[in-house]
Amino acid sequence: MKITFPHMGHLHVPLRSFFSRLGVETVVPPPISQETMAFGTRYAPEFACLPLKVNVGNFLQAARLGADTVIMAGGIGPCRFGYYAQVEQEILRDLGVDLKMVVLEPPQGHWRELWHNLRAITGRASLKEIWRAGRLAWRKLTALDELERELHRVRAREVTPGDASRAWRQIVDWLDQAETLSETEEAAHLGRAHLAAIPLREDDDVLRVGIVGEIYTLLEPAVNLEVERVLGEMGVEVERSIYLSDWVKTNLVLHSLHLRNDREEYRLAAPYLGHFVGGHGLESISFTIRYARSGFDGVIQLAPLTCMPEIVAESILPKVSRDMGIPVITFMLDEHASEVGMRTRLEAFCDLLRERRRQKKRSQRAKELLP
Amino acid sequence: MRAYLGLDVGSVSTNLVLLNENGEVVTGLYLRTQGNPIRAVQEGLAQMEKQIPAGMSIAGAGTTGSGRQLAATMVGADAVKNEITAHAVAALNELPKVQTVLEIGGQDSKIIILRQGVVVDFAMNTVCAAGTGSFLDRQAARLGVPIEEFGSLAERAQNPVRIAGRCAVFAESDMIHKQQLGYPVEDIVAGLCEALVRNYLNNVAKGKDIQAPILFQGGVAANVGMRRAFEKALGFPVIVPRYHAVMGALGAALLAKRAVAGRHSTRFRGFDVSRWRFDVSSRSCGGCGNQCEVVEILGEGKLLARWGDRCGRWSSFVLEAAGK
Amino acid sequence: MRIGIPRALLYYHYHPLWSTFWRYLGLEVVSSPPTSKEILDQGVSAAVAEACLPVKVFYGHAFYLAPQVEFLFVPRLVSAETGTYICPKLMGLPDMLRHAGRKLPPLLSPTLNARCGPRAWEEALTRTARVLGFSAGQAKRACNAAAAEQARYTAKLGEGKTPLDILSEGKEDKEGGQDQNLGTQKALLLLGHPYNLFDDFISLGLLRRLRARGYRVTTAEMLSSRLIAEEAARLPKALFWSLGRLVLGAGSYYLRSGGVAGIIHVVSFGCGPDSLVGELLERKARRAGQLPFLLLTLDEHTGEGGMVTRLEAFLDMVEWRNAS
Repeated sequence: MKITFPHMGHLHVPLRSFFSRLGVETVVPPPISQETMAFGTRYAPEFACLPLKVNVGNFLQAARLGADTVIMAGGIGPCRFGYYAQVEQEILRDLGVDLKMVVLEPPQGHWRELWHNLRAITGRASLKEIWRAGRLAWRKLTALDELERELHRVRAREVTPGDASRAWRQIVDWLDQAETLSETEEAAHLGRAHLAAIPLREDDDVLRVGIVGEIYTLLEPAVNLEVERVLGEMGVEVERSIYLSDWVKTNLVLHSLHLRNDREEYRLAAPYLGHFVGGHGLESISFTIRYARSGFDGVIQLAPLTCMPEIVAESILPKVSRDMGIPVITFMLDEHASEVGMRTRLEAFCDLLRERRRQKKRSQRAKELLP
Repeated sequence: MRAYLGLDVGSVSTNLVLLNENGEVVTGLYLRTQGNPIRAVQEGLAQMEKQIPAGMSIAGAGTTGSGRQLAATMVGADAVKNEITAHAVAALNELPKVQTVLEIGGQDSKIIILRQGVVVDFAMNTVCAAGTGSFLDRQAARLGVPIEEFGSLAERAQNPVRIAGRCAVFAESDMIHKQQLGYPVEDIVAGLCEALVRNYLNNVAKGKDIQAPILFQGGVAANVGMRRAFEKALGFPVIVPRYHAVMGALGAALLAKRAVAGRHSTRFRGFDVSRWRFDVSSRSCGGCGNQCEVVEILGEGKLLARWGDRCGRWSSFVLEAAGK
Repeated sequence: MRIGIPRALLYYHYHPLWSTFWRYLGLEVVSSPPTSKEILDQGVSAAVAEACLPVKVFYGHAFYLAPQVEFLFVPRLVSAETGTYICPKLMGLPDMLRHAGRKLPPLLSPTLNARCGPRAWEEALTRTARVLGFSAGQAKRACNAAAAEQARYTAKLGEGKTPLDILSEGKEDKEGGQDQNLGTQKALLLLGHPYNLFDDFISLGLLRRLRARGYRVTTAEMLSSRLIAEEAARLPKALFWSLGRLVLGAGSYYLRSGGVAGIIHVVSFGCGPDSLVGELLERKARRAGQLPFLLLTLDEHTGEGGMVTRLEAFLDMVEWRNAS
């Protein structure tokens, strides 16, 4: 058995670690490229959302490298993600590509099924071994997320553009290669030092922008046209509403144990959106409010074109933006999204934010000067 | 000798075909509609009248295309058919074993899947101009390259450039970007052909079971670059029929021939129609919130047809007149 | 007190229940008229571009009613059947509408969530009635009357009538509905969400057109829910969209059992669930290879011409196949 899985940001690092620790052969799909997109666009339904198309591309490329089993998560709706695996299976079947799908569905009281599926992959590994592999993978994930937050801070202030991004690629590599917990700690430590060594600008006039939206477009730089890097290199510090480890914790673990606590998100969103709408639609509203309250300069909403929960959020965000006094820009992404177009709009958005900031300062100063 | 007339009135071009009793093309005409289908039909008829060999008379007429109803009202038609069926009929006449018809016209494009001489599946472009000929026209104008030279230019390309964009507008900005980066024009032209083929295959032809033999019809089929791009993407040889640009009209003529078979009368009003005075008037019907634009067609002062309403209050008249 | 019920979205499913309930409590119920260009334009201008056509249509109906009523009835439809959802947009609809930047009367938006129990409608309606000052007993009696009316409606659907037929019963202007010729042998399966199929304006008179060509139209609503459930149980994984289940269930049933000459699936441009449900259905149909299948995509730019061409070509294909 050779297993593969869809790409989503740096998810492949903990996943590869987990499976190879258990002695399962793993094929990481090649990084998302023009070809991945072309496969997806060609074989996936035209109006399916972008992540499904990229998944199909990932699987076809992984199959070419010898993968025979796909492992991915399921869902119970209303977001389309919950039915991805079944549609993808049909597409692969009609293409004559022999890939077995193992879908880990969120247990709705049926723990045995999840366990059964997990066992199908982990084979004879003992519980203890699984626990250890899980712990190592988890640590890699949290270390990556922690360093990524630091990356966002550094990139907005680097003297030489590109320093931080280069360091980040190195860091992901180190963490990917770490084989034990202590090696992981060491890699994380090295990573922190690596980022700390980057020369930074003295002035601290960076813009702060929050990014909200659908998880896949938030976490996968290849489909969001590296919006975080582009913004960072424009001197903008970004913060995301979702980091992978938070998501794994709340959605996969706490949710399954019915311990998930997102009452705060519901409370914040309530004046604008009174119900969960699937995916992260509600969080797009609540986090925009959070960012406005914490003094961020602006908010960017990212979503795949036709994403239902985010269309609900998009319909409501203009009102939130007006009420809270924070500019919001939406990017609906698909395989046709162009880097040039996005950069133009991002530059204009940042100009707008800078101007607002200047005006705010000016009026503040005027207030101070007046008796 | 009996002959059959086919008219294909589209938004970009108006084509006429004259067929003899053996189903062979006697004359094919290609005219620009230029937003005036009535004038285009009259102009086409006038030209056809001059070219029709002595001793030949029209035994049947058929119309197709988005202006099929108007054309049928004007000339009097024995067959009024949608352009998909017309293209399929013409393709089968050209090559009875055909399994796939790719058709790219000025404003729309379609794919028709046939098995054992029967249409089993088809699709038309849904979204916009991305999979149509106007995409190439527009970019050719941008590049300052005559569209006729597009094909031969594309053939000289070493490395076709990848041009991204779902619709003509976005593709245009990407193309300009590539131009600014200094790519040679032939690589851009070949890239445009590949982009059109890609958009066509990903949108219009999505999920269709494309099998050889494949016919490539429509005005764009004249472009060798397009044929090559299709062959490269599909891995099958692609055949361009001799009358590729007027296949819709050819199909309409064949359908007319079928419709009048065994009959000795035709609804065709004769070539005099090219000298008639046609008047079109339109007005907004105030009958309900739909405010339909109701159109009236008058020939030589006589009301020939009315359409445009959703409820049938006015248009029921046309159904009798056009003989549907 | 006047309460407005927009004639859009699940109105076509639930209007007997909703209007009977409020009428029983002594409220004056006002429904918007069938969709017109004016109504659609209003909706399109206020909704975000990415919103789907049915949501835009809903906005238009709500704006139409707004100046005439004290309350607008805009339920939050989370789930209508255990274990399923309808669509995220319907879960957020009252909020989207409220923040669309138009002046609206207060919305009455009970949350319908069948995931919380089988008596979801009764609880949702009762809660709202209590807010307006009615007693639990009054609400209970109104619920019973409403449920009885809804049951009568469902029974009529089972007899082969479409919601549109029932809506236009006893009216001069048939609004596109008309009596089915149940004796006709040729039947077509028309699949899609009720708010597309049975909105004569949005579907460009599809139902009328099919019947005019002599077809009997079968829809998923005419199959028993037990049959749909059986069919849906064959899916590799329970489908969590109830409207999608209906479409896929009915489609699979007829693909296996035959009894119709072809299948037409109508979807709105950009509909999330249908992008996957439609794909599954189309792949199934193609694999079975027995029945002609047509996908019709509707949006606010859908031109009548394009639709008619596709439909005519499809019916030609159906008849051609039957003849060969």
